[in-house]
Amino acid sequence: MLAHTPRRLATLALALVLVAGCAPTPTAAPAAAEVSWMVLGDPAETKSFQAVAAAFEALHPGTTVTVITLASEEDEYFTRLGADLAAGTPADVVYMDYRDAGRYYANGAFQSISAQLAASDMIAAGDFYPQALNAFQWEGEQMCIPINISSLVTYYNKDLFDAAGLAYPADDWTWEDLLTTAQALTQDTDGDGVVDQFGLGTAAQLIRVLPFIWQNGGDFVNAAGDALVVDTPQALEALQFFVDLQAKHHVVPGRVEETAQGSQARFENGTLGLFFQSRRVTTAFRSLTAFDWDVAPLPGQAQSATILHSDGLCIPTDAAHPDLAWDLIAFANSVQGQQIMSTTGRTVPSNRGVAESEYFLDPNAKPAHSQVWIDVIPGIRPAPVLREWEEIAEHADEEIERAFYGDGSAEEALQAIIQYAGPRLDE
Amino acid sequence: MPPNAIRKLAPALARHAAALALAFVFLVPLAWIVAASLRQPGLPPPRTIQWLPNPPSWANYLAIFNFPSVPLARYALNSLVVASAAVVLTAVTASWTGLAMALAPARWQARLVMFSIALLLVPAGALWLPRFVLFTWLHLIDSYGALLAPALMGSSPLFVLLFYWTYRRLPAELFESAQLDGAGLLTLWWRLALPLSTATLVAVGILTFLLYWSDFVNPLLFLKTPDLYTLPIGISQLKAMDRNNWPLLLAAAVFMTAPTVALFLVVQRFFLGENKLHL
Amino acid sequence: MSASSPRTPTQPAVTAQRWQRQQQAALIGLLLPYVLGALVLVVIPGVLALGLSFSYFDGLSAPSWWGLRNYRMFFIDPLERIAVANSLYFTLLAVPLRVLGALGLALLLRRPGRGVGLYRAAVYLPTVIPDVAYALIWLWVFNPLFGPLNLLLGVLGLPQPAWLADAATAKLVFVFMSLFQIGEGFVVLLAGLQTIPADYADAATVDGAGPVSFFRYITLPLLAPWLILLTVRDLIWSFQYTFTPSLLMTQGDPYHATLFLPLLSFEETFANLRFGMGAAILVVMFACSFALVLAFYAVVRRWTRADAA
Repeated sequence: MLAHTPRRLATLALALVLVAGCAPTPTAAPAAAEVSWMVLGDPAETKSFQAVAAAFEALHPGTTVTVITLASEEDEYFTRLGADLAAGTPADVVYMDYRDAGRYYANGAFQSISAQLAASDMIAAGDFYPQALNAFQWEGEQMCIPINISSLVTYYNKDLFDAAGLAYPADDWTWEDLLTTAQALTQDTDGDGVVDQFGLGTAAQLIRVLPFIWQNGGDFVNAAGDALVVDTPQALEALQFFVDLQAKHHVVPGRVEETAQGSQARFENGTLGLFFQSRRVTTAFRSLTAFDWDVAPLPGQAQSATILHSDGLCIPTDAAHPDLAWDLIAFANSVQGQQIMSTTGRTVPSNRGVAESEYFLDPNAKPAHSQVWIDVIPGIRPAPVLREWEEIAEHADEEIERAFYGDGSAEEALQAIIQYAGPRLDE
Repeated sequence: MPPNAIRKLAPALARHAAALALAFVFLVPLAWIVAASLRQPGLPPPRTIQWLPNPPSWANYLAIFNFPSVPLARYALNSLVVASAAVVLTAVTASWTGLAMALAPARWQARLVMFSIALLLVPAGALWLPRFVLFTWLHLIDSYGALLAPALMGSSPLFVLLFYWTYRRLPAELFESAQLDGAGLLTLWWRLALPLSTATLVAVGILTFLLYWSDFVNPLLFLKTPDLYTLPIGISQLKAMDRNNWPLLLAAAVFMTAPTVALFLVVQRFFLGENKLHL
Repeated sequence: MSASSPRTPTQPAVTAQRWQRQQQAALIGLLLPYVLGALVLVVIPGVLALGLSFSYFDGLSAPSWWGLRNYRMFFIDPLERIAVANSLYFTLLAVPLRVLGALGLALLLRRPGRGVGLYRAAVYLPTVIPDVAYALIWLWVFNPLFGPLNLLLGVLGLPQPAWLADAATAKLVFVFMSLFQIGEGFVVLLAGLQTIPADYADAATVDGAGPVSFFRYITLPLLAPWLILLTVRDLIWSFQYTFTPSLLMTQGDPYHATLFLPLLSFEETFANLRFGMGAAILVVMFACSFALVLAFYAVVRRWTRADAA
């Protein structure tokens, strides 16, 4: 009897949740068409989304696009998304980083748009760089359309280079060059015995280490995505190099320094020589007037490689207006839509035509070498799109951080990552 | 000075010294952040403690309202509306519930107190998701109804208990004679109980205002339209956008805190005793 | 005919009975919003959460029964155990300090005198600072390189710990933060102290009782209900308190030193879409606070019985 009671209670509870979830939502009167679009971004980006929405409304009189911009903080965004999905009332179009999407694909939260893409006369698969488009595929289906094809590059402070008498990073510079350059730029500028200018700033995360692993000839998972292949000397060598940048050579701020003032703030204050980041900080850096800066590719080793940073627009399975949602997505990713979005400077457009035009390669806008983002596209590789990527990356980041700040060795970190990630690659 | 007098004065002096030191300790963090918020924008972080920047600059207080995608003034107004409504609703519902509890038969009093304490045991976090589902069903999402619903039941069992304790300490004859004179329960509440519990009313009023003014998770989950957002959401959006700009963020923190401090200073004489802070 | 209801010349017996029933109805009427509201807003969601804790629910497909699997994680997954340990550490350190601190302050500042208003206001002030602003304030004060606290320690020649950047000191920051907000407890105890009638004090001094025994035998027992209410509330509150600060300041870092139960539950629910696990963590939180309250209550019973004996 006792064994049944909790089950009955729980069943009642579950029934209540289900009923609540299935409660009829008020159906909008068919008079005005509306579509909602949930976005994440800084103010400039948000403005560009709103401009796209306005342009779409102009093309479709009688349609209202509601742009939902709750948060410019990732955590809040996913909190809201999780709650909306649970209640069965998600927005019609959802903005999603390809790395975060795996869990949502696996749970059926998003619907496939392969058919719509094939049938569309506004956009076609060939308009986009395959590296970005393929990152949003799951089990053979196209799930989202990418709006950008950003990747990890090196920002550098030209004034600091000049002051130290160093040559700017070349397109084919190596790990060795990175180390010597960063060492030359790490200085105690006011003679108080404390380093206040660092050569390099980077997050200690798996997505920063992956390019180094690839450049050294290693990889993280196999092509099918169902087995770990990172237990190799090449991968360990790459991880060791990355970790040593802080733990051994101290050209990167330590834990205390990073907590007190983050690397990005240091770069903006002119006390950081090199900074690994994607296109996302370009808009913020454009307002810097104290010094001159530019971008260069990541340093290479056996090969050159960098990691994809891409966001896409997806349609939840429970979306109330999926047809309009697709129309909005198609418009946003058409030449016109991507032109509007590229005016902020925040994106590297995924639409080839726009990326290789002056909309992105504006010679009057910084950085002077935006071309770098186009040049590295052949070497772009995506982070694995897995259902449990979020957790794997989180755990890996911790282990990498531990080794990075000198609280463990690179081998230990790698073994811990393998131990955690191995059993979770069940596709 | 005769030794007796010193012996009499010494404990009083010691007490004053201790109190002064404590007051300083409690006030110093606020002083620090006000000072930090007055730092000119654009400067690198200070290397030494700055009790007052030189020169002080109010620029940050203007800058926090200059983010087009974070209309902080609007959010502050929204917070004010929600918090004020909650104070009124809570004062009414908590006080009359506390009175009803105090006048109930002893057995029921004990049960209600137990009930209230049991309610307090439920972690707030347990309620977010089920409440979200519930409010969706009731179509309260994206309205202040979802935020104010708890105010209909006194906002917190603690407030009800505070009123309960207060009314229980009042002499029973007071209520009995009024009831004998034919006073109904609501009259008892309005004419007798409320005026006699001003200290508790003020305490509950402030605590309620603070609760709703600083509530972060409920607006995050229940509000969708940016026009309805409240101040805590705005501040965390600012933090996300410019996380290292301490003078700016602290100016926002001071802005958010100032109304509660002002409110407190105005009403603190009601519940801090006769020797209030003379302003 | 009711023999027990009070009868005055103005009230015949029948109306007295009806009046009493009216009174009862009025009482129930006043209590109804509270009880109903509590049922709808607290009890039912609580039961739902309990049910969820035995299920697997990701918000997208229907919940499925999982039995005790979520709870088994508490024995397998180190994260859950770390969170429980962290939350217990915080509670067992912060609550006694807070209650004793509030008591000490109330005793120190109860007497009217010059400037007492200022001291009381100062003590209460940090309590009125909203959570979000409060977290930002301490994030700045405890900044290891630029925050005023470490700068002050440096000037005094004292060691400057890394505070939130160091697993050993990170939790202390939260305890410290909670100590600044004892104003609420202080006011509660002050109110309690002020209900002790003045003639008690007079009688005691006439009998020659010293201040310590006065405190032990008169003040403390009279203050007991307030102290107990305060402690119980703090025990329960302390498990939930850490949520906003840990979310805004550290997100659990460094190395999970500041991963408390509410933060873990929030992450499991909204970041990992494991609503069942998130609910289970909340149930554990409830159980922990319940257990501590029971333990506290048992200790108090023993003390009062010892006193009586």
